[in-house]
Amino acid sequence: MSNEPAVVVDDVALKFRLYSERNDSLKAAFMRRRKARYEDFWALNGISFEVPTGSTFGLVGRNGSGKSTLLKVLSRILYPDRGSITARGTVASLLEVGSGFHPELTGRENIYLNGSILGMSKKEVTRRFDEIVDFSGVRKFIDQPVKNYSSGMYVRLGFSVAINVDPDVLIVDEVLAVGDAAFKAKCANKFQELKNQGKTIVLVTHSMGTLEEMCDQAAWIDQGKLVTIGDAATVISDYEAAIASEA
Amino acid sequence: MTYLQELFASRELLSNLVMREVKGKYRRTFFGQVWSLINPLATMLIYTIVFSLIFKARIEVGHPSGLNIYPVWLMCGLLPWLFFTRVVNHGLSSITSNASLVKKVYFPRMNLPFAVTGSTGYTWLIEMGLLSFIILLCGGMVLPWLPLILVFMVLLALFATGIAMALAIFTVHFRDTSHFMSIALQMWMYLTPIVYPLSLVKDAAVTHGQWIYNLFRLNPMEHFVNVFRYLMYDNTWPDIYDVLWCIGWAVLSFVLGFIIFRRGEKRLVVLL
Repeated sequence: MSNEPAVVVDDVALKFRLYSERNDSLKAAFMRRRKARYEDFWALNGISFEVPTGSTFGLVGRNGSGKSTLLKVLSRILYPDRGSITARGTVASLLEVGSGFHPELTGRENIYLNGSILGMSKKEVTRRFDEIVDFSGVRKFIDQPVKNYSSGMYVRLGFSVAINVDPDVLIVDEVLAVGDAAFKAKCANKFQELKNQGKTIVLVTHSMGTLEEMCDQAAWIDQGKLVTIGDAATVISDYEAAIASEA
Repeated sequence: MTYLQELFASRELLSNLVMREVKGKYRRTFFGQVWSLINPLATMLIYTIVFSLIFKARIEVGHPSGLNIYPVWLMCGLLPWLFFTRVVNHGLSSITSNASLVKKVYFPRMNLPFAVTGSTGYTWLIEMGLLSFIILLCGGMVLPWLPLILVFMVLLALFATGIAMALAIFTVHFRDTSHFMSIALQMWMYLTPIVYPLSLVKDAAVTHGQWIYNLFRLNPMEHFVNVFRYLMYDNTWPDIYDVLWCIGWAVLSFVLGFIIFRRGEKRLVVLL
């Protein structure tokens, strides 16, 4: 294992504009002849941390604290207004599963489509095809259009593609909670396997159980700022103490 | 990895997105891909009846091909035009219609407008192939010109994609863009000598002033239509003046579109 961190987050800040009057049509822009009114809301405000290579890093915090925004910045979906993010190796993110599926295409076609959206080459998908299908448990329906899938099958197939991308750094939002109990157990095993392979995982979760079980380190974020960072057990106890004192 | 390297590395994604469009479009239709041919054929029929039979638009005899068939002459200009409008119309909504994807996964965003060009180009290629075949049946010798036709198809694709990229970003800011463009494109079509020959404009310029003709020739699509008619209908070398304008417009449009898209794409997700 290398000593260099897998992800370096340096003073990241991101603001959203909260519009009270917004010019989102030409009529508004031309007729009103004035600038839109807005105030800045800093969803992330000066966050810095490092994720060691091969570790599992958890993010906790209340709803709206900026966890998911931070994941989106890590996934390069949102660009920070200030600061930088450096990642070593390939990064893949699991923010929503099956979002690139085309309903009229078959499961097989969608595996290839979604795989390439997530950055896999056709060769890689072909090599992992059986693994993906077996993991999803929808082999019987693989040549049916996915619009005929049940929502559970749909999500399972999406998750199976995403989990097989094989990146160096995997970024996961609360999607661990898909499928039935059996599938959840399968997912937990898969994450353990990835961990054992030395992959770096960054995940957001509200479940302290998951956090305690999976994470080596954790960070607590509140109102776009870092509150505590350290080993998972310490952060959890700090966070839970704060929640308890408020309640 | 630089921006261009990353874009190049995602070419497999592009081909998959093109496949998605091509395959998904006519799924569950009885005629399937045939629909993409029925559409221009129907347009050809309508325009031929209205402009050739009713308005009696007279066209010049193809030189040296000797062709004098209005529907064939029409299609040599209409197919490139239809390709252009489809790329612009679908390309400008390529970001907004894929919002759920753009908000959840990172990939080089430029693949979305490119995929529209790819899938539309695929249909256009079939259409142009069929038209070439019909021209051959009618006695035109189009075969030696096919490579050059392909070159100009690529140039028109660059021109259309550049406009689509810029408008795709603009559409995210102002959703009015698509409504505005459908009207603008309709007007643009009739300002381009597609259903009538340029000679009519020349005649009008003689009586009303040369500026009309000069203004007309500023239209980039006019040059593209001319070139395709030279190559396919007349079977001869295109006018060098038209060729230079086509290359110039294609490069200008694509470069500007690329720059606008690149500057705009970082703020896309916040606005979607």
